[in-house]
Amino acid sequence: MDYIINNAYVVDPINKISGEIRDIFVSNGRITDEEPKGAEVIDAGGCLTLPGGIDSHTHICGTKVNFGRYMSPEDMRAGRAPRRKGMRAVSGYSIPTTYGNSYRYALMGYTTLTEGAMAPLEARHTHEEFKHTPLQDGLVLTLFDGDWGVMRAVASGDIKRAAALIAWRLDAVKGYGVKLTNPLGAEMWSWGKNVECIRKPIPDFDLSPAEYIKGVIEANEMLGLPHSVHLHCNNLGKPGNYTCTIGTMGLVPDLNTKRQTAYLTHVQFHAYGGTGWNDFCSKSEPVANMVNLRPQVTIDMGQVMFGRTTTMTADGPMEFNLYRLHQDKWSNHDVELETASGVIPVIYRRKNLVNSIMWSIGLELALLVKNPWQCLLTTDNPNGAPFVKYPEIIGLLMSKEYRDREFATVHAKTASRVVLPALDRELTFEEIAVMTRAGQARALGLIERGKGHLGPGAEADIAVYPIKPEKIDPSRQYAEIIRSFAQTKYTMKLGVMISKDDQILADNQNRTFWCSPQVPKEYDMSKDPELIRTFDRYYTIRMENYAVDEDYYLTKSMKIETETML
Amino acid sequence: MRRVTLILRDDVDPYLPIEAEAISPEIFSKRIDVSVYVGNERKRITDVFDIRVDGEAAGPAATEIILVGDCHQVKRVGEYMTNGKIIVEGNVGMHCGDFMAGGTIEIGGNAGDWLGREMLGGSIICHGNAGNYCGSGYRGGRKGVRGGEILVEGNVGDYCAECLFGGLVHVKGNAGIHAGSNMKGGKLLIEGDCLMPCGDMFAGEATVYGHVTDFLPTFREIGKVTESGHHLTVFQGDVAHRNAKGTLRVGSFDRI
Repeated sequence: MDYIINNAYVVDPINKISGEIRDIFVSNGRITDEEPKGAEVIDAGGCLTLPGGIDSHTHICGTKVNFGRYMSPEDMRAGRAPRRKGMRAVSGYSIPTTYGNSYRYALMGYTTLTEGAMAPLEARHTHEEFKHTPLQDGLVLTLFDGDWGVMRAVASGDIKRAAALIAWRLDAVKGYGVKLTNPLGAEMWSWGKNVECIRKPIPDFDLSPAEYIKGVIEANEMLGLPHSVHLHCNNLGKPGNYTCTIGTMGLVPDLNTKRQTAYLTHVQFHAYGGTGWNDFCSKSEPVANMVNLRPQVTIDMGQVMFGRTTTMTADGPMEFNLYRLHQDKWSNHDVELETASGVIPVIYRRKNLVNSIMWSIGLELALLVKNPWQCLLTTDNPNGAPFVKYPEIIGLLMSKEYRDREFATVHAKTASRVVLPALDRELTFEEIAVMTRAGQARALGLIERGKGHLGPGAEADIAVYPIKPEKIDPSRQYAEIIRSFAQTKYTMKLGVMISKDDQILADNQNRTFWCSPQVPKEYDMSKDPELIRTFDRYYTIRMENYAVDEDYYLTKSMKIETETML
Repeated sequence: MRRVTLILRDDVDPYLPIEAEAISPEIFSKRIDVSVYVGNERKRITDVFDIRVDGEAAGPAATEIILVGDCHQVKRVGEYMTNGKIIVEGNVGMHCGDFMAGGTIEIGGNAGDWLGREMLGGSIICHGNAGNYCGSGYRGGRKGVRGGEILVEGNVGDYCAECLFGGLVHVKGNAGIHAGSNMKGGKLLIEGDCLMPCGDMFAGEATVYGHVTDFLPTFREIGKVTESGHHLTVFQGDVAHRNAKGTLRVGSFDRI
């Protein structure tokens, strides 16, 4: 079906359109210049029209998420909705069913999701869940934080071999990009220890996290991957970890003209000052200043919002520390030769000083980073908060009045530990559009795939929000902002109307993007004797059974072949 | 005083579960003509029960409901009830007295699983046996029963009084495995035997007059006491948990 969307208030930062009333033509799933014949006409009535939302870091599919579901059956008591026409029954709040995730994202106007961490060995499960996330395209970042082969190659200085190993594994597990979670931490965690920041080498490999991060960044650029290295820094959640974060940003060279060279995720959890929980404070200013100085770095917020949620990460030791704080449920997982993970449920409380400071830090980062293209909006769903809180975060970022009102309800001592009350900046609709779709498209290298913008040739992923930007003052009418970002009037994905108001209208629209770097023959690792020996000796699975079958596990496979410099 | 007698009809399929949360004094003091789910079909209550009503309604406190027949598949009887009385002459199905805050439920036969789950107050008396999760919380939840009293004169199944937070659970017979696990308060009394009770107990008082099989090693002995003619050994724990303040008193035990 072709569409004409009349009278749309378009904000499209990639094409430098910041609020013009326009008509959008959709033909064969793409946006065109020419008016299609026989198209259905939709009157947007001057409502805010943005490209489809893109989440650059979320946890919605895979073994960790599913383990969260196992551990917390009580989470399924919330968010229950019975089957409706065209919609399945859903349940769950912080870790809902895959359909729950998909419907809620669709209603918020999101059409592309990035699973932030997939253990390569558990790729099948992740792809199976993506198969049942019907309304969004999926990208899967693959964990390389404890990959023995890559670690050995980087330690011996052979970056080309490291790149070749990454290429082989990405292709085998149908991954989109390289994720490093607490680099080298998983290896130390298998000895019951953790790494201390980035400089100290780990035993057996004689490799420091700093060397590893630099090596993998170089290898990532050699492979010409659309996304940069996606980095969850060391020391997450520890008071005083901001020095480590700044040190890590200092390692990042500027190797790519189109996008950042390193994407630091959920930086809120990495911008802590103090020496312990007693003098815990915000260090968002030095971290944001470092981001402002280094255009090769992009971060996302990892905003914490108050309420119940579930934390899950490949950072096993960090989850153990959290477990010792909370003394509640805990799960821990070791993925042989590759990575680790941990899951615990948490409740973030306004009355808790540490939680209140965390809440402030995320907002401070978004307000202090000058260039919105460098700080994207996430909650590290569901670690900071479930993604359904995005509209509230948008409200907070657009309204100083709302921030002040909320600030009055948090722990009384927060004011002396944070800078938030001093920040007057209020983000505009254009900046919000950057932080929720355009910035993500650039960071993930999806602009060439036609995502994140509304120019001719772009994929017709369109979200029309029930709000007239010309007639609203976001700094005062924040309640309206929150309400309208929570539910679109129309969400369209690749020219198919997937939701209208609170109705889901489509099914089976999902595709999986993955990268297959084209390496020369001498770097084809499928015949590499050392890798074959690793599988024979150490893995519980045979090498020939390791690769994920594209036809069986991927609903619609979107293979991206990249040119490499090997 | 209104007395509503519900007689289960003979033509009801005993294998189809009936979701009967509408059977509670609050609702019946206002109206009788309610609907229930039988399997996946919504039906009128008169399709399931023959109903006799005596007396005039005068609020939930003056409402008594009597269930006649083998109601083992009738679920959620008395859910959210706050006052009044329910008498079940035979058996009753799962989730009887969920979230109950007041009033009385008396069961002549056996109760299904989840009797009095997350109860807040009131009392339940079961003259027969009760199933698993008697007086417990929701699976995965942090707080189970917070108040009220449950008395089971027969035996109970597994996970009795899991996550108990307040109130009293009293079992005159035996209990299955993991009674009182995750207890955070309240009192649990088992007059018979049980298996591996009170794992990960935080606080509260649990007493087993009979024999405990597979007693957990994570309890510290602190003395002996005699109560109602039973000689009991007193333990504190579960020490696997930091700052555990639970008390567990047992008649006899063999360690795991």
